[in-house]
Order: sequence, then C-alpha cells, then structure tokens
Amino acid sequence: MNSQWKIIFPFVVISVFGASTRAIAHGVRMQARETQAIEVNAEYDNGDPMVNAQVTVYAPNDPATPWLEGTTDNNGNFVFTPDASQSGNWSVQVRQAGHGSIVNVPIEGNQAQAGGDSATPESSTSRVMNTGAANFTPLQIILMGAAGVWGFIGTALFFMRGNKTNSELRRSESQR
Amino acid sequence: MHIPDGILPASIIVAGYATTGGVTWYSLRQIKRDKNPQENIPKASLLTAAFFVASWIHIPVPPVSVHLILNGLLGTILGYYALPAILIGLFFQAVMFQHGGLSTLGVNATMFGIPAIVAYHLFQLRHKVGKNNRVWTGVFAFLAGAGGLGVSVVIFFFLIVTNIPANIDAAVERNVIYGLVLAHIPLMFIEGAFTAAVALFLMRVKPELLKP
Repeated sequence: MNSQWKIIFPFVVISVFGASTRAIAHGVRMQARETQAIEVNAEYDNGDPMVNAQVTVYAPNDPATPWLEGTTDNNGNFVFTPDASQSGNWSVQVRQAGHGSIVNVPIEGNQAQAGGDSATPESSTSRVMNTGAANFTPLQIILMGAAGVWGFIGTALFFMRGNKTNSELRRSESQR
Repeated sequence: MHIPDGILPASIIVAGYATTGGVTWYSLRQIKRDKNPQENIPKASLLTAAFFVASWIHIPVPPVSVHLILNGLLGTILGYYALPAILIGLFFQAVMFQHGGLSTLGVNATMFGIPAIVAYHLFQLRHKVGKNNRVWTGVFAFLAGAGGLGVSVVIFFFLIVTNIPANIDAAVERNVIYGLVLAHIPLMFIEGAFTAAVALFLMRVKPELLKP
C-alpha cells in the first residue's frame, strides 16, 4: 500500500461505516396510543358484502367536503380514526354502482354516543349504528312481508267479492 | 336496481316525482275510461303482491347478484293499472325494507313504471300482426317482459352514470355500473320467459284476463 492509500483508507472506512450507521440503525422507537376507531361494514340486503365499494367520510364541521376517502375490503369493512377534536355527526357514505347508504356516527369528545338512524349498545365502549333493514331480524322481515302480501291478497279478495255481488245483482235483475 | 336515498341530486329527485305524477295522472285517466275499473283491481292487487316480494328473489350472476323486478310482467298483464301497482309496491318496499327510498320513490316509479307501459304497448302489438294465436302471444309476451326490464335498465344506467359525484373515483364507479347493467341481460331473458309462461297460462285458463 503506497503512502497515498495510507491516507485515503481511514477516510474510506470512516465514511462507509459512518453512513451505514443511519441506514441500518437497530434502534426502533415505537409508541402505542389508544384511540377511537370506527369500523363500517357495508353489505347488500341479500347479505353479500359490498366489496371495493367507495367510502367517503365527512367531518361534522364540514359536511360538504370529504374528510377521508377510501374503499371497503373484501368483507365490506372500512376502518378509520376520526379526529377526536371534532365532535358531532361523522357521516360515512358507502357507494357502489348506484347503490349505497349513509350512516351517521355521533362523536362527542372522546366517546361515541348512541344515535344515528338507530343504535344498539353492545357494551359500554362499543356501539353499533345500523341503517337499512339491518334494524330488523329475519323473522321480523318475514312477518312484515307476509303482512304486506296478505294486505294485497285481502284487497284482491275484497274486490272479487264486490264483482261477484255486482254480477249476481245484474243476473237477478235480468231474470226479473 | 332500486335507487336508494342520497345517491341522486335534488333536481333529479324533483324531476322524478314530477314525471311520476304526470304518468300516474295519465294512467288513472286511462283506467277511468274502463267500463268497470273495479273488475281489474283483484288482478292488479295480486300482481302488486308479486312485485312487492319479487325483489327478495335474488339470482346470482357472478360476480354480482340481481333480483327480480317483474315490471314487464305487470305492464303486460295489467296495462295502465301497472303504474299505480308499481307505485304502491315501491312505496311498501321503501317503507318496510328500505329497498329504494322515499325521496327516490318518484325516480324509481318512473324507472319501473314507464317501461311497464312500454311493455303493455309491446304486448298489444300482437294484434297488429293479426294472428292472436299462442305462438305470437308467447313471442310478444317475451318481448314485453324482457323489453320492460330492458328499458328500466337503460334509464337506471343513464341516471347513475350521469350523476356520479365528483369526489369518488368515476372510472371505478363506471366499471361497476357496466358490470351491474350487463348482469341484468340474463335477467331480461328470465323475466321475458316468465312473462311468456304467465301469458300463455292465462290464455289457456282465463283468456279474458289478457284483455285489459
């Protein structure tokens, strides 16, 4: 090694190891903070999840401008963390091919309050807000449907009876 | 295919109610011209029940699933009675099951009702052919059943594609709409065949029901 390299070599070593100190640092700093997230689940009324549906979140202080945009996952889920400093109704709209709905999630300070279209408290920290027919159990839906169908059939029977009475009257009049 | 609340702008909602109001008035005027409108009410009521529950019957057309609409069938069998029948059916679907919406009742009634009347006139074309036999009745009932749904799908397509909000990814939304519209093509065949089967059955057992 000539004298020129004797001078350069320490600089090369220092510069290589010095630079790599930052690049492969083994020290990791982590911070865990408890925060309130909102999980939205969207599904069609036949139970199929709305996969890759477009989600728009509106903050309470500006309901006209989207605060966050995203898409649902393969199970129709979308999770976001609202800004706890903005209390009020957070609106989450899910839309796909002209179908969709809006759910309002009331946030007051750091705690979700019951509200929206309907609320079913699951526990002290988790509340569920539903839209659409999800408010009803399948039995309730079937009963409501059966009641509706019976209403239509009853209407039909009522007017059929009227027709028969009219035709009988006409027949009896013609016999006279 | 029912359009729910919160999807369309207010101007379209108002236009939907205005159109439905006009068409309902015209339909009721046509119904009033019947000698005895009450005679057709049982038929209209039973088909309203069929329309009401049809949206529960889902047919998987991968990757999506579609449900029966039956507006072509209602138009074919009921004529102008189809419009009030569809309006009432949609109202109950929206109130009971949140299928569709009350703000979009006018839009949905227009979307399903006007094609039903188109289906009725398509079915009446069988008289123009001059051969009121089973084959022509079946053919025109198929065309009416499939055509009624087809016109509804076209109206749905234009309403949704022209009203995609600026904040969502329009390309993605458009692709999903194309997929949904294409999925209704097999449903058109199903509803056309069903309408033809019903029309031929009625022609055999009670032909006077096919003369609204």
